[in-house]
Amino acid sequence: MSPSSRIPPLLQPCIRLPKDKSILLVTSTLGASANWLIIRFICDALSSTAKDGGLSDEINTLGEGGVNIILVSWMQEWEFWKQEARKGGGLDLDRAKREGRMAFVDGLRALFLPDGGEKNENIPVTKTTQTPPVRTLPGGIPARGPAAVPARTTPSASTIPARNLPEQTSASTKQGHYTLCSPDLAHLKSTIQTAVAHLTPTSTSTTTTKTLLILDTPSILLATTPTISPSSLTSLVLTLHTTLPHILVHSHADDPLLSLSTPPQPLELAHHNFVVKVAHMSRRVLSVRVLDTGVARDVSGVLRVTENKVGLGDLRVKGKEEEEDDGNGGREVLYYVKGDGSVRVFERGGGGDG
Amino acid sequence: MELRALLTTCAMAFRKRNIALSRGPTDSTTPQPEFSPSAPAPTQLFPGVRPSPIDGRPTTSTGTLSLDGILAGHAGLPLGHSIIIEESGTTDYAGALLRFYAAEGVVQGHKVHVVGMGEFWGRELPGIAEAKNDKRKEGKERAEKMKIAWRYEGLGQFESARGSPATSRTAAQVSTGASDEPSVFCHTFDLAKRLTLPVGTAINYIPLPRTLSGSPFPPILQNIQHQLSSTPAHTIHRLVMPSLLSPALYPPLASQPSSVLQFLHALRALLRRYPTRLTAVLTLPLTLYPRSAGLVRWIEILSDGVLELSPFPHDHMQSLSTLAGTTKDEERPQGMLAVHKLPVFHEKGGGGGGEDLGEDLAFTLSRRKFVIAKFSLPPLEGDREAQEEAAVAHSAGKMPSKKDLEF
Repeated sequence: MSPSSRIPPLLQPCIRLPKDKSILLVTSTLGASANWLIIRFICDALSSTAKDGGLSDEINTLGEGGVNIILVSWMQEWEFWKQEARKGGGLDLDRAKREGRMAFVDGLRALFLPDGGEKNENIPVTKTTQTPPVRTLPGGIPARGPAAVPARTTPSASTIPARNLPEQTSASTKQGHYTLCSPDLAHLKSTIQTAVAHLTPTSTSTTTTKTLLILDTPSILLATTPTISPSSLTSLVLTLHTTLPHILVHSHADDPLLSLSTPPQPLELAHHNFVVKVAHMSRRVLSVRVLDTGVARDVSGVLRVTENKVGLGDLRVKGKEEEEDDGNGGREVLYYVKGDGSVRVFERGGGGDG
Repeated sequence: MELRALLTTCAMAFRKRNIALSRGPTDSTTPQPEFSPSAPAPTQLFPGVRPSPIDGRPTTSTGTLSLDGILAGHAGLPLGHSIIIEESGTTDYAGALLRFYAAEGVVQGHKVHVVGMGEFWGRELPGIAEAKNDKRKEGKERAEKMKIAWRYEGLGQFESARGSPATSRTAAQVSTGASDEPSVFCHTFDLAKRLTLPVGTAINYIPLPRTLSGSPFPPILQNIQHQLSSTPAHTIHRLVMPSLLSPALYPPLASQPSSVLQFLHALRALLRRYPTRLTAVLTLPLTLYPRSAGLVRWIEILSDGVLELSPFPHDHMQSLSTLAGTTKDEERPQGMLAVHKLPVFHEKGGGGGGEDLGEDLAFTLSRRKFVIAKFSLPPLEGDREAQEEAAVAHSAGKMPSKKDLEF
């Protein structure tokens, strides 16, 4: 069973990458996570070599190579994505990573938590208590390894404990796995660029390969680090977009984050700002929310897909497509994520669809 | 043979740790059979941990049976995950849940970390309830459970909101095959008793630094991280954070997004880094930090489970009690419990085990248990005034009054 055949037909056109360069936005709410949707994007992209163009006029008309993926996740660890992709898409992400088709940037593990400590017993607590909040260390990116913070002043190779070595080597053997250890945007950018460098040499084989960059909840940077402004984050997205043809941004779009409270909090303003900006830049917006009518047994939530037809200069076919598509209001389908990880997508009232 | 030897050694190992079990605060003359350390099943190597009936991931009990029951079918809190319990108003029902969680940890020999509270908090943990009084009820319940195939009983656990250890027993049997005497996964605690803490450091009290300049959270993380790395790999840790961001405990700067959200993100990282050793339960006063605020939403996003307690105002409770026509067994609910997010279930996108999610849930706290059950409006049998009013209105329209109908 090919991974793409696990994607419901109704979902297929929504997660197929557009032919030309694009930014996509996926939004989710508290009760309706979009992780399953991101998994479908990954599965579709990674399996797109075997796919024929089909009825849509989207990619793959030239039989080009597949799509490589860089996944930057601030909310979930690699293990989670691996499990979910295996269950939901029948895909081995570890293999994809080994083959150089996928890179993972871990923004959860060490972003605000000094790394190390689990393997060594002899790190005194007092050593690290003197560190001020880890957040504001612009230059002081804590290096991997337990002796990170105190030994920031260029530890010579001899001072690095021996236990550090296996970790280092495992990091190098673990191709395509990167860890963010600071919310700094420049650090993020350089890490992503390293990840891109990891992908491209292995995939130059046949034809041009596209790359899809998935940013899972970058807005956490805005929330946790007030010094980062939403415009600098969006401009980073745009900068990355110049080299990476497809960028998928996942962001939370709960009401408290979008509709400002009466004295608007900087946190809410920043988030609102960011989401609206990205939404305007995006070619397609996929938003996931819970049912308005409450929880149902066989519906997990609503997926709303809005194509931004007038975006980025192609104003040509606006009128025509509005007729045959559902206009700018987008279309809505219901979905149900089953316990085994598979997903059912169906129209309202059409619960029988597979 | 080997297996048996392993089991007995395990049992011996646990015997030492379970000091708190046999010593009831009052002189419990009859040691209850459930609390005697028993041989754990092969899959259940550590005390207080059992595999989820859904996907086999290790879970641990929250100390409240009916709370375990609503956690999307996992019948426990999956290790490596956290729950935040929000409560509005001035009541402290969430604190009761927190105490049960901590007490369960102490009883199971887990390492409990309490943030921001002194030793008095630990001394007030509820003790294990004596099973004697529950026996009658338990027997009755078991009888009615016989109607359901016991095999399925363990899977759902949604109906097991009555706080008897019997259900955890059946669930353990399901998950472990046929062991005669499975260890207790979730104990029943009595708020009127006090847990006798075992000698040594069962509870690690993490003080909040009284700094006015920086975030108080990094030392907390370092403390837990140190504890995690310095204990053997089979020690389960529980992090308890009462009244997060409450100004009574936390310095003003703590509620800056940069400090609290960074902390929660780091805590999430820590939980994921130790996916088989750490759980956390936090409570948040909603009156100070309403859910409509962006900060609270981020806190919820960063937590794995979000529960909201809305206690009924006092007078409402009174009126409900008069109208409810509740039976003796059924206590009147004291508030509503809303489930906004569940560990594991929601990060997958929903599906699988969350069948009960849409129900209105109400909670009742009594001395011995915290029961979460479906909320249903009582029948309006006692609504005499409304009936009489209706009768009067009708009698104007030549309807026979009530008295005329009586023989």
